[in-house]
Amino acid sequence: MLHTKNKKLVLLIFIIFLTVSTVLIGCTSESVEKSEADAATESSDMITFSWPRDVGEMNPHAYNPSQMFAQSMVYEPLVSYEEGGELKPHLAESWEVSDDGKAYIFHLRQDVKFSDGSSFNAEIVKKNFDTILDNGDRHSWLGVIPLIDQTEVVDEYTFKFTLNEPYYPTIQELANVRPVRFLGEAGFPEDGDTSEGVEQPIGTGPWVLEEHKADQYATFKRNENYWGEHPSVEQIKVNVIPDAETRVLAFEKGELDVIFGEGVINIDAFNQLKSTGSYETSISEPVATRILVMNTNEETLSDIEVRQALHYAFNKQEIVESVTSNLEEKADNILSPNFPYASNVEATTIDYDVNKAEQLLDDAGWKMPEGKDIREKDGKPLEIELMYNSAESIQKIMAEALQSEWAKIGVKLNIDGVELPTQVERFSNNEFEMNFYSTSGAPYDPHYFINIVATEGFGFREAISSYPNKDELLSQIATVQQTTDENERQELYTSILSSLQEQGAIVPISYIRQIAIYQKDVSNFSFPANRDAHPFTGINIGE
Amino acid sequence: MGTYIIKRMMTIIPIFLIAILITFGMIHLSPVDPAEAYLAAANIQPTAEMLAQKRQEFGLDQPLLVQYVNAVIQISKFDFGVSYVTNKPVWEEVSSRLPATIELTLASLVIAIVVSIPLGFLAGVRKNKGIDHFSRFLSFFGASIPSFWFGYLLIFFFSVKLDLFPVEGIGTWKHLVLPAITLALPLIALYTRLLRASVLENLQEPYVLFARTRGIHEKNIMAKHVLRSAISPMITGLGMNLGKLMTGAIIVEAVFSWPGFGRYFIEAIFNRDVPVIQCYVLLAAGLFLISNLIVDIIQMYIDPRISREGRQFQ
Repeated sequence: MLHTKNKKLVLLIFIIFLTVSTVLIGCTSESVEKSEADAATESSDMITFSWPRDVGEMNPHAYNPSQMFAQSMVYEPLVSYEEGGELKPHLAESWEVSDDGKAYIFHLRQDVKFSDGSSFNAEIVKKNFDTILDNGDRHSWLGVIPLIDQTEVVDEYTFKFTLNEPYYPTIQELANVRPVRFLGEAGFPEDGDTSEGVEQPIGTGPWVLEEHKADQYATFKRNENYWGEHPSVEQIKVNVIPDAETRVLAFEKGELDVIFGEGVINIDAFNQLKSTGSYETSISEPVATRILVMNTNEETLSDIEVRQALHYAFNKQEIVESVTSNLEEKADNILSPNFPYASNVEATTIDYDVNKAEQLLDDAGWKMPEGKDIREKDGKPLEIELMYNSAESIQKIMAEALQSEWAKIGVKLNIDGVELPTQVERFSNNEFEMNFYSTSGAPYDPHYFINIVATEGFGFREAISSYPNKDELLSQIATVQQTTDENERQELYTSILSSLQEQGAIVPISYIRQIAIYQKDVSNFSFPANRDAHPFTGINIGE
Repeated sequence: MGTYIIKRMMTIIPIFLIAILITFGMIHLSPVDPAEAYLAAANIQPTAEMLAQKRQEFGLDQPLLVQYVNAVIQISKFDFGVSYVTNKPVWEEVSSRLPATIELTLASLVIAIVVSIPLGFLAGVRKNKGIDHFSRFLSFFGASIPSFWFGYLLIFFFSVKLDLFPVEGIGTWKHLVLPAITLALPLIALYTRLLRASVLENLQEPYVLFARTRGIHEKNIMAKHVLRSAISPMITGLGMNLGKLMTGAIIVEAVFSWPGFGRYFIEAIFNRDVPVIQCYVLLAAGLFLISNLIVDIIQMYIDPRISREGRQFQ
């Protein structure tokens, strides 16, 4: 029991606390104005941006921990990936593909210089290709790399490579942020092997790395010798802020001009900042798809009627809307129709329909026994396990939502949160019943997705192994990569994507989109068509 | 006294060997295969032969005892291997980030000492007075508030609203203030409570009564006798908490974007960068051991009874 004196003291402390808080909050409007003024004075020609991790060593041919957006600022591809998957000339002015689909000839731009003044030509293109091919193991995930047989300098501005077999996605894969981008001569280590690091980050891109303090910040300045349209801001500063809440606070204070990316701040914070009306926000076109994979090797899920029933009983619209606050969009197709070859998939759109779901389960022999709430077949209850990444809150909440959703039709869903490496491992070893997955998106799909569906060891091929048309599907996938005929390719894609969807083991949930939020003095912000690239083309700040 | 120190130092060696054994065992018992982790970090799809080749390269095919001895030899040369992710020597990566962490931990240590000694002492001397209540409030507050939350509160009020300090980064003393206070708060809570209790206990001791009867000025009794004697458990606590500060820095560094070792360690965990994880665990163990040793030596100066007792046992 408290003494009266103590009670008084506690009361006093609370009062002091409240007063101080009120005074502090009272200062709000004043200090916001002040910090906005600060931001404006320091940043008339500089954009300050934040990223969760350090930009890394800025090696165009390396992966983790190098960050793709930063690589894309400094290094450029032969072709660029634009809106809707259109491939446009970039460092290559034009290209030709031989009739057999094996030889690729690139005519390079002649006005391109590296940021150190050295010229960009077929020699340096070959040198870059060769070091990539020498480390083929690292890059073999990219379909074209293991197929390249020969690289050749035809003349100063003409480069050619030959493949072992035709592979249509070649040009699209060259648009990726890594590894096929070009390092200047002075950047190569003595032995020419970039796998152990580069000497200097010398590229042809619109930005040049000016200063880099590991784990603190990196500044990029405009490349004054850039061959293309010059950026309108002089500098981009990238502050490393690992924590999402801190990023929001730094933005509110005006220390940051732009927040951009996927999952860089939490959804509530985005909506809260948006609702203040003090900032500009935007959301990109779909860049990838969140999907649910059912393992058809599991007895229960091998029945297409059960798979369809689960899909019908999935109130996607509502779940996606509430879980992601509309940052993601309900998906009807495995690949969003804005992706190449993905626009005319012929599969039945499955709309939320609980009666139909129940009907399908009844037909499949899963009946609801008297007095129970879980369906049974031959005395076995209808129980399914869904694996999710416990660190990803969207997966977790969706899993819980599905659990209650499917309970309504008498299906018991057990949810199992695991760490990401475990999730990947169990998926590829086929030790799961249901799992969440996201497609790689632009610029990798559609070919990358159907490729992993057909390749052993990723999980999909094993998961769809009881599809009745599996063999046909796999042979179609093998053909589509090699076909040189555009119409045939479109037909094959339509058929592959349609039947993958029709069989119902790969359930599209939502289209993932990128978010951006920026101060009012930032203008001309646009999302990159390539999901991995930087968003600073054309960006402007100040009056 | 010299022999006592040397003896104390000798005991560190076997403990450290055991620490190496434990980290070694942890890594070998964990489901992560270092060879696989390496290939994953290098973005290479693992094949059986590649795994075998990497295992040989890392010496994982050797008998465990040989591996352990090799590990001990390497570590004694400060060679913690090469990071799987960056391909650079781990010690190089770690030592370039240590100064930031040390700066932060020392600053919080100073804050903790400067705040908790007067506060704890006065709270003990003026039991049940205003300052005592305040110290108790602070102790509860500091011990129970999660440090990331306290960090956000500080940023929210002092950076975003009052615009006194920057939200994130490193460089000036202004950058240091908020993270150091955040890291110091749990220590302030702990030390204040420890010192207060110890002062109260000492005030009951007969020597205080004797001193008073001898007519020594109350201020002298407090400053020269009670404080000196009461501070001893706090110094022990300090030694035990230096290591805790370093581990606490992991969270504070993440919240304040402080480019220290703790943040690097978090990334290493996500990337399963085994050599870095091993290095961190060993450094933490080393820090615990060495700080305890230093504290023991300080204790000996403050309280000569300790080394005398040590001699009695011989």
